[in-house]
Amino acid sequence: MATDHREAEQLVNTSDSDLQEAEFVETNEAPGRCDSAVFAKTDDLDDLTLNITNGVIQNHRGTITSLIRKRSKRSNTPRDQETDADLTNNSNPSEQDIANSIEQSELSSELSEDEDVKNGLEDLSLQDTESAPEEAPSVTLIPSASESDYVNSLEWKQQKKHIFILSESGKPIYSRHGSEDKLVTIMGVMQALVSFVQDNKDNLRSIVAGDHTFVFMNRDHLTFVGITRGRESTQQMLLQLTYMYNQVISVLTHSALTRIFKQHRNCDLRRPLSGSEKFFDNLLNLMDVEPGLLLTSVRCLPLDSSVRDIVSQTIVQHAKVKDLVFALIIAQNQLVALVRMKRYYLHPMDLHLIINLINASESFKAAESWTPICLPKFDAGGFLQAYVSYLDEECQTCLLLLSVDIEAFYTLSECCTKIKERLNRYNALTAISNSLQRHSYSVQQCSIGDLRHFLYKARSTAQYTSPELGPPYNTPDQQDRLFGLYHFLHDKVHSVSRPLKLLYHVGQYETLLGWVTQGFELYAVFGPLVTKNIAIHAVNKLLRWIKREEDRLFILSSVTF
Amino acid sequence: MSGAKVDIKVVLLGKAYTGKTSLVERYIHNRFSGDTVPYQNVITIGAAFGAKTVSIGNKNVIIGIWDTAGSERYEAMSRIYYRGAKAAIICYDLSDRSSFDRARFWIGELQKHEENCQIHLCGTKYDLIVDNPDLRKIQERETFALAQDVRGKVYETSSKTGKDVSLIFTNIASDYISSLRNKPAQENKEHLVALRNASSKRNFCSGCKI
Repeated sequence: MATDHREAEQLVNTSDSDLQEAEFVETNEAPGRCDSAVFAKTDDLDDLTLNITNGVIQNHRGTITSLIRKRSKRSNTPRDQETDADLTNNSNPSEQDIANSIEQSELSSELSEDEDVKNGLEDLSLQDTESAPEEAPSVTLIPSASESDYVNSLEWKQQKKHIFILSESGKPIYSRHGSEDKLVTIMGVMQALVSFVQDNKDNLRSIVAGDHTFVFMNRDHLTFVGITRGRESTQQMLLQLTYMYNQVISVLTHSALTRIFKQHRNCDLRRPLSGSEKFFDNLLNLMDVEPGLLLTSVRCLPLDSSVRDIVSQTIVQHAKVKDLVFALIIAQNQLVALVRMKRYYLHPMDLHLIINLINASESFKAAESWTPICLPKFDAGGFLQAYVSYLDEECQTCLLLLSVDIEAFYTLSECCTKIKERLNRYNALTAISNSLQRHSYSVQQCSIGDLRHFLYKARSTAQYTSPELGPPYNTPDQQDRLFGLYHFLHDKVHSVSRPLKLLYHVGQYETLLGWVTQGFELYAVFGPLVTKNIAIHAVNKLLRWIKREEDRLFILSSVTF
Repeated sequence: MSGAKVDIKVVLLGKAYTGKTSLVERYIHNRFSGDTVPYQNVITIGAAFGAKTVSIGNKNVIIGIWDTAGSERYEAMSRIYYRGAKAAIICYDLSDRSSFDRARFWIGELQKHEENCQIHLCGTKYDLIVDNPDLRKIQERETFALAQDVRGKVYETSSKTGKDVSLIFTNIASDYISSLRNKPAQENKEHLVALRNASSKRNFCSGCKI
């Protein structure tokens, strides 16, 4: 590890001299750059520090209220007032329900606690000592039918990443592996650790034990715990936990969450969250394969700019409806087009929650849906209503219309019919499905010899592009390893204590180059035998290639209603 | 939320996993996927909307069906889905006692907020009961007693075999048509009253200003 640092420094130092500088900045304009931002501008590091200080949520509150106020001002009919009143009234019965449920849940957790105390303690001692017994290969431990056996099995302990959510009083809310019911004791211990440190007016951030890292995050009476033995750094785990927190907010809203805990400190949050477990599971799976979440940026579906213009203009023309804040089309986790209300931006973290919603749910394929969704970066205090419908028979291309008008369903449904008809007439849907079938592009298309894979993020637009995973990264294991390399590279470049502009790292199987400028972030993976000069030339060539293709790979113009 | 093109708004309510979506799937698309697709994967998010045209006699009626999510977190919002509904199909799982208690809750909600909504009680998964009568947790006489209280109708359906599924919707449609025949005179009268109210109010206001 020490050697990488030295090499990186060398490069940074040498790049101060004019010669190297000239070599690197051949393309002085970052590809994928555009002046009118498509998304809210982001910097993952800024995000994190902001999140740590806990102030970010408050900053984003009130957007929806102001939109609704604007709306009721515009049409001050008694009907609208009735709606608003209904909404506020309606929140009460559900809270009462929660209150009723509390007593029940308290009872059950006490009962199970006694049973599990012994097992849980054994669990912990094993995890802390970190010595996985050699005589028991996980293959022989086939998970038994019983859930409680599973959480005590070696297989459970050897999972690469664990994520837990628990309430301030130590009540289990979610566990990625195994049923959270059976983890009451271990979660109690986690909460004890957190409270013990909090007692001294301090915060427990992370624990490193052997090759495991334990990361803790407290937010709004909830404790998020991430345990990994992968290559994620503490910062990156914190980002993942922030996504989990955002997912909770997306289901409940920040206001409801604080209200619930204000009324009942030891409320069982699983009831209000019921039915959304798979969103958490799916989000965590996405994080393991989708670099966009690590880079807090979005991947766009490669599409001729003329086709993309047709798509977004069709939306503008046929969905020009009052109170419609965002309209977007998503195909296989990639953004096809986004149209937004003037002055309002969609944050990539919010977009990832939307993509997760579509990705995790089969039910949208059956019929048009109308569902509340909270976008924490947009406004953590309230819900937007989302109209969701697939545009094609194969259910690949999905249209989302996000509005603050709770009654707008039929209007938006008509918009959708018109949009669908127009897109069919202009063959845009065929173009989208063709692009989906072509599977993006391979790294060979960039015709750069030793380049194996890369991630390129245009910072001003918060979009990224990367080629298909080809050999040698065609097995899940290898893809996992590649993703680990990116985590390592990203962490080194963005290290809090010493951020780097450039990092050249020679590893055992590949050479890595990370390069961060004002305009972009580039993470490139080369074969192991590449030299520094070849890598620099390759990267410059790659930037020129991306520049040539930028119309196709990125959304460069932001379209508003 | 009253649709422009829809004649009757029907809402499905009930506990999660009682088979509301399956019922709609069977009725609109005449298909059943409950055996092949694990039910956790298709849990409804928010509410789904579907429409179907039925002909009763020589009249065509468009039924707009709101299939709501059973998860409790949507409960607070559910009023926007049943507001103005002509009929509600309250589903409960014949083999799950707790889902019947949930049905009582929904009946209470509807009586409180939507008095004019016709209630149809629908016991689902009848095929399970046929296979194994021991699974039945809710006796028919219980449901009939409840239905009498709310002047509702009772069905026991199976989306798997299709038993009685379309019967519910045909009944809703014919109820609607017979209500149309009796209503027009009454509706006109109400309209008149509303107009007069409005005009008198306006006079009063302008008088104030002067």
